[in-house]
Amino acid sequence: MTQEIIQIDGVSKSFGKADRQVAALNEVSLAFRDGEFAVLIGPSGCGKSTLLYLIAGFESPTTGEIRLDGKKIQKPGPDRGFVFQDYALFPWKTVLGNVMFGLLRNGYSHRDAKTVAMEHIRMVHLQGFERAFPHTLSGGMKQRVGIARALAYNPKVLLMDEPFGALDAQTRKLMQQEMVSIWEATQKTVVFVTHSVIEAVYLADRVVVMTAHPGSVKGIIDVDVPRPRQYTEEHYLHIRQDVLALLEDEVAKSAKALA
Amino acid sequence: MMNRRIFTQDAAARWRTRFVAALQFVLPFLILGVLWELIVRTGVVSQTSLPPPSRIACKFWELCVGDHLLWRHLARSMYRLSIGYALAMGSGLLFGSLLAMNRILGDMFSPILSLLISVPTIAWVPVFLITMGLGDRTVIAAVFLGGFFAITYNTIRGIEMVDVSQVRAARTMGARGPKLFTAVLLPASSVSVLTGLRLGIGYSWRALVGGEMLSAMIQWGIGKMIYQARFWNDIVVMFVGLLVIGLTGFLLDRLLIRWLERVTVERWGMVTER
Amino acid sequence: MKVRRWILPIVLVASFLGIWELAAHLRWINPSLFAPPSAIVRDLLRLHTRRLPDYSVLLTHIGASLRRMFLAASIGTIAGVATGILMGASRIVSRFFDPIITILMPIPGIAQAPLFIVWLGFGDPTIVTIGAIATFFPIAFNTAAGVRSIDPQIVRAARIMGVSKTASLARIYLPSAAGHIMAGIKLGWARGWRTVIAVEFVAAASWGLGYMIWDASEYIRSGVVYGGILLLMLVYFAIERLLLETVERLTVRRWGMIRS
Repeated sequence: MTQEIIQIDGVSKSFGKADRQVAALNEVSLAFRDGEFAVLIGPSGCGKSTLLYLIAGFESPTTGEIRLDGKKIQKPGPDRGFVFQDYALFPWKTVLGNVMFGLLRNGYSHRDAKTVAMEHIRMVHLQGFERAFPHTLSGGMKQRVGIARALAYNPKVLLMDEPFGALDAQTRKLMQQEMVSIWEATQKTVVFVTHSVIEAVYLADRVVVMTAHPGSVKGIIDVDVPRPRQYTEEHYLHIRQDVLALLEDEVAKSAKALA
Repeated sequence: MMNRRIFTQDAAARWRTRFVAALQFVLPFLILGVLWELIVRTGVVSQTSLPPPSRIACKFWELCVGDHLLWRHLARSMYRLSIGYALAMGSGLLFGSLLAMNRILGDMFSPILSLLISVPTIAWVPVFLITMGLGDRTVIAAVFLGGFFAITYNTIRGIEMVDVSQVRAARTMGARGPKLFTAVLLPASSVSVLTGLRLGIGYSWRALVGGEMLSAMIQWGIGKMIYQARFWNDIVVMFVGLLVIGLTGFLLDRLLIRWLERVTVERWGMVTER
Repeated sequence: MKVRRWILPIVLVASFLGIWELAAHLRWINPSLFAPPSAIVRDLLRLHTRRLPDYSVLLTHIGASLRRMFLAASIGTIAGVATGILMGASRIVSRFFDPIITILMPIPGIAQAPLFIVWLGFGDPTIVTIGAIATFFPIAFNTAAGVRSIDPQIVRAARIMGVSKTASLARIYLPSAAGHIMAGIKLGWARGWRTVIAVEFVAAASWGLGYMIWDASEYIRSGVVYGGILLLMLVYFAIERLLLETVERLTVRRWGMIRS
C-alpha cells in the first residue's frame, strides 16, 4: 500500500471581505498517494484550480489544513513544482535560463545546474532550443519548457493547472502522450487539473470529480486501464462514461446557477 | 553554410528597409524646405522676418564646422544632461522600486507624486535659482527633476503590472525577497521602465533647454545660445538652435532609448508601448 | 485599510510642512530662501489684498494666465482635431506630418519664445501663439491615432446607408475617435498650461502667474515663488477636475467609450 503524500483535511476556502464572502471550496477532504497520477475534474467555477493553488501554497485555506509528507503547507516552495496554463515562462531568459532558474535557487552550482537543465530539456525533446527565447516558441514547446522547468529541481510533487488548455487539439493530444512518458520516466506524484473528461481518463490513475460551486468531492473513480491507453478501448470508454455521468449533473447545476 | 547565407540576406534586407524608412522620414522636411525657400525668395515673406533654409543651413555650417561654436554649446548641454539624467535614472529606479514594493511607503508617497508631476519642471527653476544660484547646478537640478518623476512613476507602474503567474512560478522554485525582486520583478517590468526612461529623457532634455535659458551666469549651452541670439536679433541663429534642439531630442530617443529597447525588450519579445 | 490610504499622505505632508516651519524659525534654514508655510500664506494674502477694493493683484495674475491658456488651448484644440482627423483619414497626409510632428513636438515652448518675441513682441500674442502650438501637437497626434483605430466596419455600414464622405468625417470619424481625442485634449491642455506659464517667465511684461513667479525670484521673494508653484498645482487641478472631466463625463463616458 503506497503511502499518502498529500493530505487535504477538511479544507474550505472563501474569498472576499467580511460580509461579502464567496465560498470556493467547502469541506474538502482528500489524500493523494505517492507516485500516483491524480486528476481533478469538475465544472467551471468548482474550485479545482483553487484547491491546486492551496496545495501550491499561493493561498491559505480558510479552515482545515493541507499536509505534504506530514508537514503543513504554508507557502510556495521547491518541494511542489507548478505548471501554469499560461506557461509563466520568463521572457528575458532563454529556455536554458528558465530551466536552470529553480536549480540555481536551490543550491546547485552554475555548471551542475546547466547539466541537469540540459538533461531535462532533452527529456522534453527540446534539445537544440536551449538558447531560444520563449517568444519564439510555439505553445506546445513553451509548455514543455514549463514542465522541464518545474521538474528540474526534483520536487516531490508536480502540480499542473490545466496545462494543455491553451493548446490546439492536435498539440494537446501529443502533449498528453508525452506527459505519460515523462511521468513514467520520473515517477513523480502528479496532481493535474482539467475540465476535459477525455484528457482526465487518458492520464489518470484516479479521477476526482468535484461538485459545482462551492466545490467539494463528489466522487473518485479509479482508472485501472494499463498504459499506453487507447482512446477507443472498451473498458476505457466505460470509465469515461462513469466520469461523465458524475460530471454532467454538476455541470447542469452550475449552468442553472448562471441562468 | 545555408544558415549564413540566409542571415546575410536578412541583414541586407533589413538595411534596405531602414534606408527606405529614413528616406520617407526626411522627405517631408525636404518638401517643406523647398516650399519655404520659394516663399522667401519670391518675396512673399521678407527675408528679415523669415530667413530661408539656405541661410539657416549656411549658419549651421558656420557654427558647426567654421568656428565650432555649436559643438561647444552642445557639449556643455550634453554634460549637464548626462549628470542630471544619470541621477534621475538611479534615484528614480530606486525610489520607484521602493514605493512599489512597500505598501506603506507607496500609499504615503504616491498621491504626492501625482500632484508634483503636474507642476511643470520649469516652474521649479526659480526655486533652484534662488537656492542654488544661477549656474550649472540649477540646470542639472532641472534636468534631474524632469526625468525623475517620469522614471519613478513608470517604474512603479511596471512593477505593479508584473504578471502574477511569473511571480508565483518564481516562488515555487524557491525565490524569495530581494532575490525575487532582482531576478524576476525588475526584468518583468522592463517595458514600463523603458517607457519611463524614454519619457524621462524627453522631459530632461526640455528641462535642460529651459533651465539654460533662465540661468544668467552660464555661458555655454544650446538654450543659452538661443537666448543670447535675442540680443543681436539674430533669428538665423535662433532657427539653428531650434532645429538642433528638435534633432537632438529626436536622436536621444531614437538612438539611445531605441537601442536599449532593442537589446532588451524587443529581444525578449516583450511588447513595447509607443 | 482604506482609512490608511488617505491618512498617510496627509501625515507626510503635515509633518513636512511642520518641520519646514520649525526649521525656518530656528534658522536651521535661511527663511528668505526657504520661506516657511506661514510666510508663503502671508505673502500670497498680501498680494491678494494689496490693491483691493480696486482689484486683487493675485487674482489678476491668475486671471491673465487663465485667459491666455483658454485662448491658446481653444485654438490648439480646433487646429489639432482638424489636422488629426485629416492625418488619420489619409495615409499621405499622415506620412507627411508624422516626421514633422516627431521633430517639432519636443521643442519646448520657452525655447521658441525668443523667436516669437522678435516677431510678435512681448505679451499676449507670443504667449498665446506658443501655447496654441504646444496644445496642438498632442491633440493632433492622439486624434490621428483615434481616427486610425476606427473600426472600418462602422465606416462601411455608414457609407452603405448613404452618408457622404465629408459628412462621414464629422458624424462617423469624430464620435468614434472621441476616446482618443479626449485623451489628447487632456494631454494637450496640460501642456498648454505648462507652456503658457513657462513662456510667461520670459515673455510677459506685467501680468501672469509665470510672470509673478519669475519676478519674485528676481527679487528673492521666495514666499511668492513657492506660493506661486502651489497655485499652479491647484489651478491646474481645478481645471482638470472641473472642466475636462465634466466634458469627458458628458460625452465620452456617456457614449460608453471609456470605462469610468
